[in-house]
Formats: sequence, C-alpha cells, structure tokens
Amino acid sequence: STSSVLSTEKDKSTASKDGTTEVASKSQERTAGTPKQKLLDIIGNMKVEVSYRNKLRQLKTREVKKEATNKLEGLDREGTMLQKATEGVHRGKPLNPELVEAASAVASSLPLNKKQMESELLAQLRRHEETTDKQKKGGTINIRNVISEMAVKRQSPAQRGVRISNRISLELDEDGQRIKPGRLSPQSFDSRRYFYCVPFQSLKVGRRLNIFTKASTETENALKTVSAPTIWDLEFAKEVAAVTAQPPRNGFEEMIQWTKEGILWEFPIDNEAGMEDDAEFHEHIFLEKHLEDFPKQGPIRHFMELVICGLSKNPYLTVKQKIEHIEWFQKYFEEKKEFLQEI
Amino acid sequence: MAASALAWALRAARQVLPSPCPRQVRSYYVDWRMLRDVKRRKLAYEYADERLRINAIRKNTILPKELQEVADKEIADLPRDSCPVRIRNRCVLTSRPRGVKRRWRLSRIVFRHFADHAQMSGIQRAMW
Repeated sequence: STSSVLSTEKDKSTASKDGTTEVASKSQERTAGTPKQKLLDIIGNMKVEVSYRNKLRQLKTREVKKEATNKLEGLDREGTMLQKATEGVHRGKPLNPELVEAASAVASSLPLNKKQMESELLAQLRRHEETTDKQKKGGTINIRNVISEMAVKRQSPAQRGVRISNRISLELDEDGQRIKPGRLSPQSFDSRRYFYCVPFQSLKVGRRLNIFTKASTETENALKTVSAPTIWDLEFAKEVAAVTAQPPRNGFEEMIQWTKEGILWEFPIDNEAGMEDDAEFHEHIFLEKHLEDFPKQGPIRHFMELVICGLSKNPYLTVKQKIEHIEWFQKYFEEKKEFLQEI
Repeated sequence: MAASALAWALRAARQVLPSPCPRQVRSYYVDWRMLRDVKRRKLAYEYADERLRINAIRKNTILPKELQEVADKEIADLPRDSCPVRIRNRCVLTSRPRGVKRRWRLSRIVFRHFADHAQMSGIQRAMW
C-alpha cells in the first residue's frame, strides 16, 4: 500500500511536474512569439525585485532570443556573419530597433514624462555607440594631437657638457685611483627625463619642429674618406690610452704589463719564440741546387762546396741568409772572371 | 762662466755637421771616447758579413793566390772603423777602458759600489 501510495504520489508529482512543464512551455511558446515580447518581459522583470529565479529566466530568455535572432537573420545571411551583420546594422541605422523599443518600453514604464525620457535615452544610446565605435577604430588620434602640441624640452649645451663631464671624472685620489661617481644616479635620472619627453610612437610622426637642417650625406662621405686618422685623432687616442692605463695594482698586473711589452718571456717557455723560420730541414742542408751557376770543375767549385758544407751545419742563419751568402760569392766571382781567366 | 762656455762648446761639438755625415748625434754619452766606440760598433755591425766573406777568400789554400791578394786589397779599402778589433769593451757608466767585467759591462769600481749597496742581483761578498 505504501509503495502504491508512493507510486501514486510519484505519478501525481510527475503529473504535476508535467503539468507545470506543459504550462511553462505553453507560456514560453506564447512569449517566444517575437523578440519584442522577450525584451518587454526582461524589462518588466527588471522592474520587480530581481530574484534568482528571474535571473535564470532572463538568462534563458537571452539565450533563446539569441537563437531566435540567429534564426531570423540566418534566413537571409549565414550564421557566422551575425556579428558583422549587427555591425552593419549599427552603421546603416543609427540604433538597433530592439534597443529603441527597449528604450520606449522603459520610458513607458516609468511614471515621468514619457517622450522626454525616451528621447534622452535614445541620445544616451547614440553617444554610447559612438564612443564604442571610436574605441574599436583605435582612438589614439586625440593623444597624437596632444603630443604634437607638446614642446620638446631642449637642453642647454652647458648643461649637457656638465652632465657628460660628471659621468667621466678624471680626478685622482691620493692613491692614484680615479674617483668614480655613482653610476646609477645620473644615468637613471637622465633616462627618466628622456622617457617622459619621447612619445610612444615613432619619431617621424607628427608635425616637423624644424630645429635641425638636413645635412647632405655627400659631404659627410667625402670627409670620412680623406685621411681617416688625423694627427689630432692620434693625439687624442694617445691621451685616452695614457689616461686609461692605470699603474698596476699588484705584482700580477705588473708581470702582465711586462709580458705585453716584451720584457718578460711567456711561460711555459717556447724555445722557438721569435723564430719565424718556416723552412724545412732539407732546405737548410741540401744547398747544392744554388751552385748551378758556378763552374763544375776547378778550385772555385771546391771552395763553394766547402762553403755549403759549413752553411748546412750552421743552425743560426735562416735559409734566406744562406742563399744571400752564396749569391754574394757568385757575384764576387763573376766580377773577378776576367782576372781569373788571365791566370 | 768658463764651465758653461765649455759645456756649450761640448754640446755644439757633439752635434756632427750635416754635410759629411748623414745623422746628428744628440744622445749624451759619458765622453767622446765612448761615442767613438759606439760608432765603431755600428760600422762593425754593418760590414760584418762582407768582412767575413772576404776573409774566407783570403784565408784559403784552394783558391789562387792572386785572388787572395785582390781580396786583401779589398778588405783594406773598407773603412777602418768597420773592423771589430778596434772595439773596446768600456764601462757602460764611466767609460773606463780597463778593469771592466764582461758579464756586467761595468768597471770594477762601479761594480763594487753597486754590490755594496745590494743593487746587484745575486752578488754577495765572498767569504770562505
């Protein structure tokens, strides 16, 4: 019996639920006739205390409305073109007709002067749409105008020189160390100043201020090609090197300086340091090929062979020097040829 | 007055006249003898190779004697200061010709002076 009661209750509940759903669907069907009706419902609900149920109903109706609008406008155009269509509608017509109707409904619902309210609401809507359109386009036009009107802050050359000199101070302490100013403070200050002056956009945008005249590039190139390092440049470079070359702080730096100058040898000691003889051993020893111009018989040949023997045993001369030695003898004997033939 | 005049004369004399010699001597050597020694050393360095080769021809048993006599004449024609025999190892600081130790190029007096002041590296008074 209990089960039957429960079942009946269930049936009743389900029946009641079905009834409510049927009622609800019927009501929805009645309300889902036009989007106008939905809007009016929304506004009507908004007038009364908005409870959670109403909010849910609003959400549902909005979703349904979107679907309905899709269906309505999808007949003519595709569903993906909906947003573009709405934008086109916005541009073509000043205001969305739905919004107009909503405004009229609100005006009618309020107890005050209806027509005045309606006009004011419509004006508000128009202004709102104008601002949204501008923001969509990228409304930096106003900022651009503002910045172009701003005057560029010009530094006096004295101030600039002072600033540069502040950065590189050539003063010396008692120890001989250069006094270095706080690196961060002047640079950060200058960067901040520059940050405010320079606009966000590129430098070529906006009205020309006509401070500088455009120098011709040809003269610059001509100056650069003619005698690149002048005497003054060399002197300046020497001065800079002399200033930057600080005395060595410790023995290691002293040894480094000496190695650079050549006073100290490089360790590990290279036995062939300074020797640039790239010739092989056979070029040192086999020097007979240089004796081709000499006569093959006689005392001169004998003499020259002895000379070559001595040169091949000499490790101190380079190949060039040995060849020069032989050539000197050749020249000497050619000069004395007439004298030798007399003998 | 006299000393200043002498100094001026010395300085003037030190500057070689431009016509015969190619270069002017402006460095301050200890005395003129040292300067002459320096000139001899430079010439000896220049003619060293030639002298060696001509002497190789001269001091020879293979080549004919006529050739060697010609070589003798040639070497005699070279400038007299080009021979290394004329170089004297003088003291570098005082130009003293005698009592010069070859390793330090210093005369014995200067060497002793520096060694006593501990300015010669590795030198110690001998005691045994």
